[in-house]
Amino acid sequence: MTKAKRYNPLLMLFNFCKLIRNSIFFVIYFFVIKAGSESTFITYGRIVFFIAFGLTLISIILKWFTHKFELDNRSFHLYKGIFSKSERTIPFSEIQNVNRHTSLFHRIFKVTSVNFETGIAGGDADVRFEVISQKEADRMESHMKSTVQEELATIHASEYKDIASVEAEVKKGISNRTNHYKPTKKDIIKASFTSLSFLVLIPLISSFYFKINEIFHVENEAVGIFEKLIGSWWMVTFIIIVLVIASITFGIVRTFLKYGNYQVSSDHDRIYITKGLIDETAFSISKEKVQAIEIKQSIMKRILGLAEVKLTSAGGLSSEEDTLEINSLYPYLPVKRAYEMVSEILPFYEITQKMTPLPIKSFWVRILWPSWLWIIATVFLLYFKPTVLEVEETWWMLSAILLIIIFVSRLLDFFNTFYILNDHFIQFKKGSMATSLFVSKRDKIIEVNVTRNIIQKMLGLASIGTINRAKPVHHAGINHVSIEMADAFYKWYMERRNEIKVE
Amino acid sequence: MWMLSEMVTNLIAFIILGVLLYLDYRFSWKEWIGWILIWITAISVLGAVWSLISPFLLYKNWRFDADEEFLQLKSGVLNEVHELVPMTKIQSVATKQGPLLRKYGLCSVSIETMGSSHSIPALPKEVAIKLRNQIAQYAKIKEVVQ
Repeated sequence: MTKAKRYNPLLMLFNFCKLIRNSIFFVIYFFVIKAGSESTFITYGRIVFFIAFGLTLISIILKWFTHKFELDNRSFHLYKGIFSKSERTIPFSEIQNVNRHTSLFHRIFKVTSVNFETGIAGGDADVRFEVISQKEADRMESHMKSTVQEELATIHASEYKDIASVEAEVKKGISNRTNHYKPTKKDIIKASFTSLSFLVLIPLISSFYFKINEIFHVENEAVGIFEKLIGSWWMVTFIIIVLVIASITFGIVRTFLKYGNYQVSSDHDRIYITKGLIDETAFSISKEKVQAIEIKQSIMKRILGLAEVKLTSAGGLSSEEDTLEINSLYPYLPVKRAYEMVSEILPFYEITQKMTPLPIKSFWVRILWPSWLWIIATVFLLYFKPTVLEVEETWWMLSAILLIIIFVSRLLDFFNTFYILNDHFIQFKKGSMATSLFVSKRDKIIEVNVTRNIIQKMLGLASIGTINRAKPVHHAGINHVSIEMADAFYKWYMERRNEIKVE
Repeated sequence: MWMLSEMVTNLIAFIILGVLLYLDYRFSWKEWIGWILIWITAISVLGAVWSLISPFLLYKNWRFDADEEFLQLKSGVLNEVHELVPMTKIQSVATKQGPLLRKYGLCSVSIETMGSSHSIPALPKEVAIKLRNQIAQYAKIKEVVQ
């Protein structure tokens, strides 16, 4: 499509800002905290700092001159290297999902950063543009999409008549995006309570309080006033009320910033998720590349009837800290809506609510299986015999409590575990307090295994497991199903031969 | 064959333990280190006895099969593991031979998939090479990209 191009010149500025940010710590340490110090360490430290700073600055500029990229009809070509040159070619068909992140910096200059993520193992797996204009990003994304479409079209030549019609369809697709979910204010408030994000303020405030306390203790004069303040009960209640309100607003604002602009939409073949008010992130994945779906519920969410739908993609979600959450369709969906949405967005995925529980035999195995955690903990307690609250016998009490907790969670786990093989889907549900439902298609599973240990053999039980593409590979499975089920599972996977298309 | 390699590993382990015990005695380390070392020795003696028996059992229970669509691996006596790998998902096969294996004209075949790696230990060389080529042949068939 284009000749090899340099990256956006703003990249230099961006990297420079990053450099400044990273060196702030050193600047403060060497020039503020140790300002008067004459020790050799500090003097040499300063010199090293200046050299490092200078070198990085030069390398930023050189990098901009040497790094180039190019797009053609099938792939990305990336050129880099100041002294040793390297060229990398990544075909579009390997790209699993696209991740766009617009931070405040990007906002100011009306640019964005795009990550095209692949399923390749190793460090240099993704095609990353840290600074790129919005328009260019859009163009690249749609270019990639359309070429992948064309390739598909040539493969399924029977399905589509000619490429022109496909292109038309792609164009139509962009305007055809249907919105699936946009949280209302009420949803966000609910979400902020579920996420317990208002609790974040508590450690902050308490540390602040202790700091103040310290200061006031140092300055003896103030102690009197401070104690008077604390002493009057109405003042204390007032402070507490203020704190509670502050932390709740803080929680709501935080959630609002994070999920405020949330939107889940999809068109003919891709799913789009955008979120964030200030730091905007957009995620898009081709429907065909969704490897599995997971529906997760923590205990809070179960009480409030909310759920989180996660899409498993083979591409890494490596870029920033909060990327773990980015592949989830809104994490605080009402349960019913969550199921509806899966069938809306991914019509070729079916989720059945009817599932088979575990056999009774498995109940006893689960309950009576020795718990290593308990054994080790008990041995430790027996050895050290800690006394808590001046009670000598704490060790066996603690051990008993731990045992009870383990039993209860196992019981819950047993009653929450379900599985089903449904045509060409497999579903597992497990978990004691927090549950998760895993759904995958037969042709997306890359490997299966059945294991049986000696006790399972005696009782006619087995454990089944699947491996899905993801980064790192996703293992899922269920312990102690009946042997017949394991056999069926094995045969079910064998049936795969009927549905895969071979080139 | 497996017995041999097990024995070599055991021998090395015992040598290391012996050195440690000697050092312990020589430099009189802390008492608890000595205890731990004695425990480890006891356990590894038991392990050595087990390793004399286990190769026969393991050998008797190792099964594999490769056809056009799947590679099936089955192993284990107490913990039985049964794996099913589609040929289309296999990324590479290799035969490997250490000095011990070479002496007996054996080879192990290792198979890498997208998600994991498997190995079939200690096959006669011709069989191993034939299997490797066969798997490579089957794995050539590509699934339509998904």
